[in-house]
Amino acid sequence: MGNLKRTLFYDNHVKAGATLVDFGGWEMPIQYPAGIVDEHIHTRIKSGIFDVSHMGRFIVSGKEATAFLQHVLTNNVLALDLLQAQYTMIQNSNGGALDDAYLYRFYEDEFLLVVNAANAEKDWEHLNTEIKYFDAKIVDRSAEIAMISLQGPDSKTILKKLTGSENLTEPLKNALAILDYQGETLLIARTGYTGEPLGFELFTKASQAAEIWEKLLELGAMAIGLGARDTLRLEAGLPLYGHELGLDNDGNEIPIFSCPLAKFAVSFAEVKGDYIGRAALAKQYIGFKKIMERDLSDLSELARIVRPIALTGRGIARAGCQVFKAGKAVGVITSATMVPYLKAEGYGLDSKITDEKAMRAIGLALIDGDVELNDLVDVEIRGKMVAAVIAPYHMKSDAPPFARPIIYGVEIERQFDSAPDYQTKALNLLERSFDNTILRQHQTINLIPSEQSHSAAVRLLSVMDPSFRYAEHKKTKSFYDYDVFYYQGTAFIDEIEYLLMEEMKKYLHCAEVETRVISGQMANVAVFSALMDYKNRVNRKVDAKRLGYVMNNHIIRGGHLSAQPMGALHDYIAIDPQTEKTAIVNFPVEKDNPFKIDVEETKKVIAQYQPELIIFGKSMVLHKEPVREIRNFVDAQKLNSIIMYDMAHVLGLVGDYFQDPFAEGAELVTGSTHKTFFGTQRGIIAGNYDKDDYKYGLWETIETRAFPGSVSNHHLGTMLGLLMASYEMNYFKDEYQKNVIHNAKYFAKCLADAGLDVAGDPAISYTETHQVVVRVGYGIGPQVANRLEANNIIINYQATPEEEGFTASGAIRIGVAEMTRFGFGNKEFAETAGLMADVILRNKDVKEDVTKLRGNFTNLKYCFDDEAITAQLEKLKSTL
Amino acid sequence: MKIIEGLKYSKDHEWVKVEGNLATIGITDYAQHSLGDIVFVELPEIGDAIGKEETFGVVESVKAASDIYLPISGTVVKINEALVDEPELLNTDAFENWMIGVEMDDPTELDALMDATAYETICHE
Repeated sequence: MGNLKRTLFYDNHVKAGATLVDFGGWEMPIQYPAGIVDEHIHTRIKSGIFDVSHMGRFIVSGKEATAFLQHVLTNNVLALDLLQAQYTMIQNSNGGALDDAYLYRFYEDEFLLVVNAANAEKDWEHLNTEIKYFDAKIVDRSAEIAMISLQGPDSKTILKKLTGSENLTEPLKNALAILDYQGETLLIARTGYTGEPLGFELFTKASQAAEIWEKLLELGAMAIGLGARDTLRLEAGLPLYGHELGLDNDGNEIPIFSCPLAKFAVSFAEVKGDYIGRAALAKQYIGFKKIMERDLSDLSELARIVRPIALTGRGIARAGCQVFKAGKAVGVITSATMVPYLKAEGYGLDSKITDEKAMRAIGLALIDGDVELNDLVDVEIRGKMVAAVIAPYHMKSDAPPFARPIIYGVEIERQFDSAPDYQTKALNLLERSFDNTILRQHQTINLIPSEQSHSAAVRLLSVMDPSFRYAEHKKTKSFYDYDVFYYQGTAFIDEIEYLLMEEMKKYLHCAEVETRVISGQMANVAVFSALMDYKNRVNRKVDAKRLGYVMNNHIIRGGHLSAQPMGALHDYIAIDPQTEKTAIVNFPVEKDNPFKIDVEETKKVIAQYQPELIIFGKSMVLHKEPVREIRNFVDAQKLNSIIMYDMAHVLGLVGDYFQDPFAEGAELVTGSTHKTFFGTQRGIIAGNYDKDDYKYGLWETIETRAFPGSVSNHHLGTMLGLLMASYEMNYFKDEYQKNVIHNAKYFAKCLADAGLDVAGDPAISYTETHQVVVRVGYGIGPQVANRLEANNIIINYQATPEEEGFTASGAIRIGVAEMTRFGFGNKEFAETAGLMADVILRNKDVKEDVTKLRGNFTNLKYCFDDEAITAQLEKLKSTL
Repeated sequence: MKIIEGLKYSKDHEWVKVEGNLATIGITDYAQHSLGDIVFVELPEIGDAIGKEETFGVVESVKAASDIYLPISGTVVKINEALVDEPELLNTDAFENWMIGVEMDDPTELDALMDATAYETICHE
């Protein structure tokens, strides 16, 4: 191997006993003594490091760097924000791939393009030919920057230890950060080629490369060779140039759109202009759409696509094997082998990855467009037909920190014991409901911040007549906006609704409320729908324009689904044609306190994007939202932004002890009425528009998007209950709100004193709301939540702003509202803190103590319970 | 690397153990080591007549599939089915875990094979 190039890690590989091979002109480790199987498994359950320094690293800069990259790459460079990376293709004019690559933007004015080792020379020549037409330059920095890939569930912990930095990147795929390693810049990216939900690529100074490699090994990573790199990427369904991209087995070019990642890697944004291969790719895209939409009459634009294939018969497919369906050749294997995995036991979040190793034969195949998912096929292996199936995927990464193998054909079955006859079923249901109520109302300490128990009156009213009736009504202009009801028998509920609106207006200090929406999420949907409708009111002869930009709290910073594009905003948010992403910007947060909006940075973002809508409010909420500051800024800038506060979690705290949204400048408030508010489970929309305000038309639109836009039947029983709850709130709120906030602060302090890691700012006793967030350790939030539940303490696990998603949660979220209502004060919260610490830190069984403590607090406070009320409740009950 | 005295070896890294007219055949420790993690083994059927240097089976690692050649001609009289269920046994001990036994057609064909010393030399080349 005399003429082979060596990376900076060559000596590390030799020292580790690696088997070295020629790979694209480089002398690279194919495997280490542990072997491919163990290297693969170690990466999946702990972490692995890969020498990827043989890849090419080119820096592109200059005035027309963006224009150049838009021309030579398929993806949209304008979609690439600072400190982000994107997958892309280097395409030819036929729409074939010269290479696939990753583009990183660590700095405002320069891009780092990483290309495959075997193609680096060819890419370099091509890019240099094309760059002549642009005022831009490209420099080969492959020798100066070394590159290590660190992948797997432990990678984050290992990287934190290596760098001594608590903050790495944002917990999102393709996020970048610039760190420091012993005085030198260390660039890190959340990218990789293993499908791991946690994985980083490190760009190090050449002089530090070998040392960092050894440190990573010391910290628990295993060195992984090219063999396992291939099985890991195959299991993840990722393409490899020369297999799924480039030329096929017969030497024909594989169209880029045959590769499933093309959907993300190819952009047809107008801002990209007429880039290389655009016309050919556009044609392929038509074919791709036809296949996806099962329009199979003519597949001339795109004949085949790459699909995962799982062997169900005995054998291992290899690249080049033919695939048959009902005897007809339908495709060819592009990559395949047998890959290892560890078996899992149990279901859902409780599933445990065992030590038991197993193997499965899987692959990727370039398959005719008319072969469908789940089709049974045969793979020809050494002249024999082996049964196989077209699988959706081989692995999923959406439950971090682990990537989990998906074995074809596994189905989850759930079974509950149920009596054989309906009389017994019915009786059992009643008994079980009784038991559940006793458990939750008498024996369990309920600390879920979005929950609340209702008073007896609220509960009973919710099931009384008219809970099963209809009362659709609509304001009618001909009658000076008098409500017209469509059914008879509605006089009672008409009066109730009127009283409810008046109570809620009084509570929120606003001009208008809409009470018919039956959840907080629905309240938001109705508002977004109305805003979009109102925006398009002048011209209804064309497709309505969606909302954009909208500013919200990012979901990883505690924002709720009800204000996210994947949630309630889904059908109402525009796509920015420049970036091809949803027109959303997030509130920046303070550097040292990710739970708190950074007001000054927010002002900058508002000035830049001039959002149509600013949505305050979140579900992990420790601080007041800076409504007044942002209102003042928006007004001073003469912006038209609508300021909305989704108060779902804090609706019951409106007033002197927390925030007064309308007084502070919000125009719209939405919320659910059963978290800190006293119930029932419904939603509410409030607005502060006077009838002579030009925006009153918006309010009227909100009303029509509530009915008939969102509900026909607005669930009359819980409306009756809500009126009682609003009486309770307006009467008791001063004492209740004061106690809730005091208890949250006191509880946070007790939890910290008990040795728990309470999140937030100690200077304000950690919280300004009813919530407390406690860090319990990365990824073990769900486990801690389960343990607490086994001890009759109900909380919910919570991903903190540093974590990748709910399955990787390292915190628990606690709310004090419900137990405050049951009369818990300092003494009881102190005791609860101690019991929780016993469970979390010492794994003690405290169920009896919890049950005993709770047993003394079963009467709900802050509600009317005098004799007359009790007597009337009995009378109501007797009608059931 | 393990090499056992008293066995015959082929240049393709198979070993042959002779007992009367029965030849038991497997792959060598060198072979299993070069292949890496062995994940699949395909064997012939009892009664198959196989010629000298013809393929009698396949051993597959994660990396690749390798044909295994019969160094001498004969008829298959036994196969080690345990390998089909647990191919990794070949990694554990390639000499202990034989692959097939054949009734030899012509025992003089053994003369062309190497002894342990000669085999060790080619392994180090």
